[in-house]
Amino acid sequence: MIVCVAIVGHQNNPLYIQSFTDGDDALKLHHVVHCSLDVVDERVNNPKKSGPMLNETYLGLLYPTENYKVYGYLTNTKVKFISVTTDLDVKDADVRNFFRKFHAAYVDAVSNPFHVPGKKITSKTFAERISTIVKAFGLSSAG
Amino acid sequence: MTDPASTPLGRMLMDEISPVVMVLTTPLVEAACQKNGLSFIEMLSPFCAFSNIDVPVRTASDQPYRLQKFKLRLFYASDIRQPDSQVARERLLEVITQAGEESLDLHTDAPQTDDLLSRSEYEVMPSWFKFFNKELIRVVSFSDHEAFDHPVACLLVVSTKDERPINRFVDLYNPDHLPSLLNDGAMDPKILKLYLLVHDNQDDGPENTTKLLFEMKSTFGVNVSQLLCINSSQDGLVEHLQNPWISPKSYTSSTLRLGHFLNKDDVNEIRDLTQELASKHIIPYMEEKVRVLNQQVSATRKGFRNQIKNLWWRKGKEDSLDASNGPMYTFSSNESQIRVLGDYAFMLRDYELALSNYRLISTDYKLDKAWKRYAAVQEMMGAAYFMLNHSWKESEHCMENAFNTYLKNVPAGHQNATRCGLWWVEMLKTRDQFKEAAGVYFLIAGEESLHSAVMLEQASYCYLYSKPPMLRKYGFHLVLSGNQYKKSDQIKHAIRTYRRAVSVFKGTTWSYIKDHVHFHIGQWYAFLGLYDAAVIHMLEVLMCSHQSKTTQELFFKNFLNFFQKTGKACELLKLPLPIIDASSLKVVFEDHRTYASSAAVSVTESLWRSFEEEVIPSLSTARTNWLEVQSKFTSKRPKESNICVVGEIIEVGVEFKNPLQISIPLTGISLICELSERSDDGQTDANITGGMLNDQDSKLAADRLLNSSASVVLSDVDCVLEGGSTTMVKLIVTPREEGILKIVGVKWKISGSVSGCYNFVANPMKNKTATRTRKHKHSFSDNLKFAVIKSLPKLEGMIHSIPERVYAGELRYLTLELSNKSEVAVKNLKMKISHPRFLNFGSAEHFDINYPACLQKITGSKRSGPMPMQREGSDSVFLFPNDNVIRKGSSLSWPLWFHAAVPGSVSLYIVLYYEIEDIECSMKYRTLRMFHNMEVLPAIDVSFQLSPQPSTPQKFLVRMDVTNQTSSEDFQMDQLSSLGNQWEISMIDPLFHPPLLMSGQAFSCFFMLKQRHEKSGDSEEISSLHSPIGGDVKLSTKDDDDSLFDVSLSPLSDFHNCERLYQEKQSEGGSHTVDFILISHQVHNKNNPGVSHSPCFLSNHACHCSILGSSPISWVIDGPHEIFHDFSASFCEVSLKMTLYNSSKTVASIRINTMDSSHLGDSGSVFSNQEGWYNVPLESAIKVTSDVRGTILKSLLWESAHPTIWSASSSTKLQLGPGSMAEIPLQVCVFCPGTYDLSNYAVQWNLQPLGAQQNPESGPSSGTCPGYPYYLTVISSSSG
Repeated sequence: MIVCVAIVGHQNNPLYIQSFTDGDDALKLHHVVHCSLDVVDERVNNPKKSGPMLNETYLGLLYPTENYKVYGYLTNTKVKFISVTTDLDVKDADVRNFFRKFHAAYVDAVSNPFHVPGKKITSKTFAERISTIVKAFGLSSAG
Repeated sequence: MTDPASTPLGRMLMDEISPVVMVLTTPLVEAACQKNGLSFIEMLSPFCAFSNIDVPVRTASDQPYRLQKFKLRLFYASDIRQPDSQVARERLLEVITQAGEESLDLHTDAPQTDDLLSRSEYEVMPSWFKFFNKELIRVVSFSDHEAFDHPVACLLVVSTKDERPINRFVDLYNPDHLPSLLNDGAMDPKILKLYLLVHDNQDDGPENTTKLLFEMKSTFGVNVSQLLCINSSQDGLVEHLQNPWISPKSYTSSTLRLGHFLNKDDVNEIRDLTQELASKHIIPYMEEKVRVLNQQVSATRKGFRNQIKNLWWRKGKEDSLDASNGPMYTFSSNESQIRVLGDYAFMLRDYELALSNYRLISTDYKLDKAWKRYAAVQEMMGAAYFMLNHSWKESEHCMENAFNTYLKNVPAGHQNATRCGLWWVEMLKTRDQFKEAAGVYFLIAGEESLHSAVMLEQASYCYLYSKPPMLRKYGFHLVLSGNQYKKSDQIKHAIRTYRRAVSVFKGTTWSYIKDHVHFHIGQWYAFLGLYDAAVIHMLEVLMCSHQSKTTQELFFKNFLNFFQKTGKACELLKLPLPIIDASSLKVVFEDHRTYASSAAVSVTESLWRSFEEEVIPSLSTARTNWLEVQSKFTSKRPKESNICVVGEIIEVGVEFKNPLQISIPLTGISLICELSERSDDGQTDANITGGMLNDQDSKLAADRLLNSSASVVLSDVDCVLEGGSTTMVKLIVTPREEGILKIVGVKWKISGSVSGCYNFVANPMKNKTATRTRKHKHSFSDNLKFAVIKSLPKLEGMIHSIPERVYAGELRYLTLELSNKSEVAVKNLKMKISHPRFLNFGSAEHFDINYPACLQKITGSKRSGPMPMQREGSDSVFLFPNDNVIRKGSSLSWPLWFHAAVPGSVSLYIVLYYEIEDIECSMKYRTLRMFHNMEVLPAIDVSFQLSPQPSTPQKFLVRMDVTNQTSSEDFQMDQLSSLGNQWEISMIDPLFHPPLLMSGQAFSCFFMLKQRHEKSGDSEEISSLHSPIGGDVKLSTKDDDDSLFDVSLSPLSDFHNCERLYQEKQSEGGSHTVDFILISHQVHNKNNPGVSHSPCFLSNHACHCSILGSSPISWVIDGPHEIFHDFSASFCEVSLKMTLYNSSKTVASIRINTMDSSHLGDSGSVFSNQEGWYNVPLESAIKVTSDVRGTILKSLLWESAHPTIWSASSSTKLQLGPGSMAEIPLQVCVFCPGTYDLSNYAVQWNLQPLGAQQNPESGPSSGTCPGYPYYLTVISSSSG
């Protein structure tokens, strides 16, 4: 299951970070997400490694930590989506699909005329939508 | 690629994997050496590393090569064993703790990442890392499965002072005391023995020694016996230029004397000894061994036959695996010999040979599942590959393989894995694969917290030096490492790592992480008792609005706690909490403008300025008298500063915002001000202008504050900021001396302990540069700069008992009181009120009058009540009488009348202008601005409707509709007055009295208004000035005749005039309008005793009530109503008279159309919805005739042909002047008896416009009115 999702702006500033765990490990997940930005940078700077697809937004598995797997996604506006999962074997297609939905939700959220670009996303609707997507991902990957 | 030998790993391998010489000494040898502060090994070891030994070596191949660098490792026999891991750990702990003490340098900032990146890795990494790593590697030395730690030779050392040295040599090599390695069969016990005789030159001459040496040589052999003379210097004052015994790191005072008995000859002798030891004995011995072993290995293992045999043999051995890694392989076993061969070859730099042998046995060990040995061989293979500089991949693969094998298959193999990992890391670093190296560090971090802390920290540096730098991982691993340091109680190290991590997170918006780092640094500093540093870091986490409430509380509490412990309660800190928005700053000061209340301050300046225009003297007109004085002064003063007066307050409103969810108690909020003397040239003292409040000189500012306290009085405010709230705090400063006053900042105390300050002018440097550009000079900081001038008189004014909520129509008597508290008198008072409709000046006679009795009509002929006053100057400017000079300490009262004209919110602006008598004052005049806002509640709504009586042209029916719009108040109507003396109003029923008007009640009553005919055309003005007779109707039940109000008296008539002026806009006035004043009073509700009541009356003014109906033309038809006629004779002719009246102001052309046909019904329906009052047909009239003839009844329904016909003209046209009457004769013929309605005519009127004036609001200019019903009954006289 996904324990954390995050949106990071193009200046590597956190726009939205939400953990889905019961425990008090928000700080740890913050660290994990923050560190994964290094990997994103690396992937972006060395496009050789990112595979044959030139315009691919999905970055794939960024790095496995002890307990988590971190997946990344990079939009054309250099906004990064990070998801941290505890599943050890996740189908790539599932993650890809998840990020696509995530991206759509993000686009809707920032299209809100009251949203200030570059500021944190505080929309409740967005948060609800994300948690629905995350739940759906948990169901699909479990089934 | 550089030479592998010169890389760190190469050096490390050449250091670590070098021949070991076991040393056995007697105590006397050690004693001789200790004179120099050294042990025997310590004395020799600096000379055991040879950089240019240049020895030819020939190993397995026939091709000899030359060794240049070589090293011997000397160990006491007692040390040749597996080090005690407990001891090793303690030593590591000691090293780390010591390093921690050194690292905690409070005064230097943590190095910035950019700074770190510009330096090389080995500079940045703490030096004790190297030591730590070395110790870790040492822990696994002298293991039985690795041959390179096995002693190659044994050095037996005996002093000449020993008794019977030859016997001592024999005794020394006692197998019982030898290391277990030699005894338990892990290595060959037959090793090379060398004999060394040490002679201390201080003891006696060399005669004895030569004899002993000779004896030795004869006993042990010439080659292996040596003599070493030391301590040749008698006085012990040898100074070594480069003391070889001093390692650069352990530099202490005692080390200076190391080796001070060893002179140059001694040193040379030692050097020669070790060189000989290496080149003549050890290397040849090893060569020999390599060759022998190689032959053996070739014999047993090389070739296809041997391979098969080996495999076969191994297969059989598979069963006996239980005794794993134990004494399975003795030194004589094939495998051990191959391993020794490999290690010796490695040590002799023949890496090819070493590698081939390692490869050979690695498969054997693997087949045997001897994992520890297998891993060790893999490790060496990796090292050999590396030294050969052949294939990165191979070497890395070997290392990884070894590492994983250690971890997975070797019980307690972690230490070995650590060594392997460290080598691996070095290998990766050599190839700039820092990221991978970091990963390896992470893998060897392990469970033990201190160990993992160091490893994680090293990993973090790897991330820092990877290309491109992975700063976030660097920060993360530093944090992880710090966490582990903390777990192992190395708080100083924890602080060090965290502080380095801070630089990574600085300036980012990852606030959770930042808070975590700062908070923990703060806590740890506090734990160490360094509260100053703790507070600095706690300051960083105070602004934690994103955190939960409990976290905020925790941070806040900790901060307060630490701060209190610093014991610097008086020091000002630049606190980030609460937030002060400098743009929200609101400064209120009084120069020539003074304010009566804070409400007056909040009114925008432009509004006041435009309002004041009439009152204050304009510059151009007043130039001759007062500006000259003023201009002299202004030229001296810096123009950009504001002016304030000594002893008068400056109020600064500062907005404090609390972003947290917890409430913050603030105490002692006050301004920080500077008051400096003004020098003659108008410049302020340089030292004070320059001194702005910075971090550094905050204390200075505090001192200055104390100094200036005598000349400036500051207010203290306490408040509690609730979570998430913004509070405007009003701070007051009162200058006591002349000069330049500057408001620098604000200070406060949180929870009574922490003093914070905020500098309004955030960047003083920027401000200084701004002085060049004069245009922008009038900036924010200048608004906080004041020129304090000499004390001036100031009037304080207030209106006593001005209500905040009144009912519409209320009339009140108020008193304005002006007091002068200063020494100088003021004169020439002027006053202006914005809404004369609401507030009006009274006159001097109004003093001490009895309201409301003063308004009542005096029954006597003489009228002494207040008269409408004559105004001077402008309409709304009131000049006080000239003799009104308010002197020191005195006050002046003036009456005011207040009338709540219309419901709604009313803002009253009052400006009082006064001049100062003292000419010497820098200001000639001042103004006092007063502002009152009040709510006028709707109370009584009164409307009048007048309709002319058709029968009597000059009588009007007045309907008064009164509604009480309040919800709780009752009113009693007292009087209705009509203004103007041509009107006479009376009740229709004189005995009727309107009841008490309860709340929410509506009520109508009727009056009769009669127009008096007066010959003289009296104008409005006169009528309003004179008392109207009969214009009042008493409505109250009181019998008292005196209680009638005189509406012509001052306040009522004044307000009425205002109302007239105001209401005129709405309805076009004319002479045919009437004004009404309804006077009522509030009946005090007994149910509501809490509200205090003053006796006050309500006057409702309804002006310009038109007396006209809907059309300006009115008419009356006069004539007989009942006629007896004999129809047998002729038809009946009836003469009627129509009286027309034009009530409009213009000439009307009127046409009267009489109609005999029935289409009148249509027109009747058209006008049926017309408003107003008209008479309805009386039913009785129809009934009277109903019995006579049914056909006649029908005629009344206008359907059938009329038995009547208009005779004379069918259409009459005439012009009627304004206000004039005309009579027109009409005639109707009746053909049969009956009752007829003669309304079948219409009056068409057309008003002629007055010139070009075309006022659309004046009503319709033309219209058609149907005739009024007029009933004529004709009775046949013949029948009766």
